[in-house]
Amino acid sequence: MIKKRLFSVAYMFGLTFFFTALVSGVYEVNEERIGINEQIKLQKVVLEVLGMEPEQGTPGKRVREIFGGRVKVEENEGRILYRGFTEDGKTLVGYAFPLYGAGFWGPIYGMMGVDPQLERVIGVSFYRHSETPGLGGRITEAWFKGQFAGKRLLPRGKEGKYFSLVTPGTARAEGDLDAITGATGTSRAVDRLLDETLKDYLPWIAREKAKGRV
Amino acid sequence: MATMKSRAIFVTGLWRENPVFRQILGICSALAVTNLLVNTLIMSLGLIFVTSMSNVTVSILRGVTPPRIRMMVQTLVIASYVIIVDITLKAYLPDISQALGPYVGLIITNCIIMGRCEAFARNNPVLPSLLDGIASGCGYAFVLLSVAFFREMLGFGTFFGVRVMPAAWTNWTIMVMAPGAFFMLGAFIWVVRSFGPKEEKPETAR
Repeated sequence: MIKKRLFSVAYMFGLTFFFTALVSGVYEVNEERIGINEQIKLQKVVLEVLGMEPEQGTPGKRVREIFGGRVKVEENEGRILYRGFTEDGKTLVGYAFPLYGAGFWGPIYGMMGVDPQLERVIGVSFYRHSETPGLGGRITEAWFKGQFAGKRLLPRGKEGKYFSLVTPGTARAEGDLDAITGATGTSRAVDRLLDETLKDYLPWIAREKAKGRV
Repeated sequence: MATMKSRAIFVTGLWRENPVFRQILGICSALAVTNLLVNTLIMSLGLIFVTSMSNVTVSILRGVTPPRIRMMVQTLVIASYVIIVDITLKAYLPDISQALGPYVGLIITNCIIMGRCEAFARNNPVLPSLLDGIASGCGYAFVLLSVAFFREMLGFGTFFGVRVMPAAWTNWTIMVMAPGAFFMLGAFIWVVRSFGPKEEKPETAR
């Protein structure tokens, strides 16, 4: 009896070892490729919010070329900034920086592009999240992201908020945007993460600009 | 004799005991990934791979696996193959991998696979188990592709991304959303059960 039990344990251990090794092996072989794919995905997002989005279906290699030719990456003080240039690489088109914060279910990752004067938004995109599909998950939809394009970056009111997500149809001021009906949690989370990120990044970019670094 | 048997295995998996419309298994993914044919096809191929490979592995190990831990072994085997599929998709088809989202990982919980391991591979030699896995996987693929064909055509007006409906066609948005899958799947089961080949009446238990 005891022998049988020991065999079960040893057998399971051996089998688990074998399959874990197999899966790790497959991952090891493909790790680089997966890394490159993730990178291309991020590069596409940066290009999108800077208004330089390549056509849908553009091969990954081409995306990397465009990104390499038109975007410069700066990292400083734990912040990351992408600078987008015109095709000849001379004139600055805008800055892009990551939006990040807690969502309703999990972290939300996004990107925002702003013009070189830090006056207007070029574009916004959310590319990784765990929000409910069909409700909070709609933050990736064009109508939601599209609301940001061309909006002026003005701190408003006592709190100095740039944007507020309000009940659809009740937007009055420039910075009021439609929230998502049925996804109050996600809307509040996006509202907060925009507020926190913008108050952190915009002054920082302005300081860096004043120093002539970016 | 052998060919007769393989044929019987195929007919069983594809039709007589089709996992989706006879046993109503694998419905979760059948509803979730059937709004575009390309995604459905990749999902189906992944499932056929996992079902057949798990069946083969469980069958090879059938002599040594202690019966009391067989479920653990099956889960381990299935999960490993699913992760391999997931990694392969991420590396070679990143767009489709993203469109399928969590559903590739959820193949692990697809009842069809463990069902076949338990019901067939555990007691049968390797080759028939392989065939059984492929047959059940194909049975799943057949239903999903049929559902996806109509959902994509009515919902997007396309066939594998190529426009087939006339320009005046108004897309039925509901077909793209989850409820559309319920309608299509229900209609499919109804058509198959009512108009498909009649099956022998099972003996009624008294």
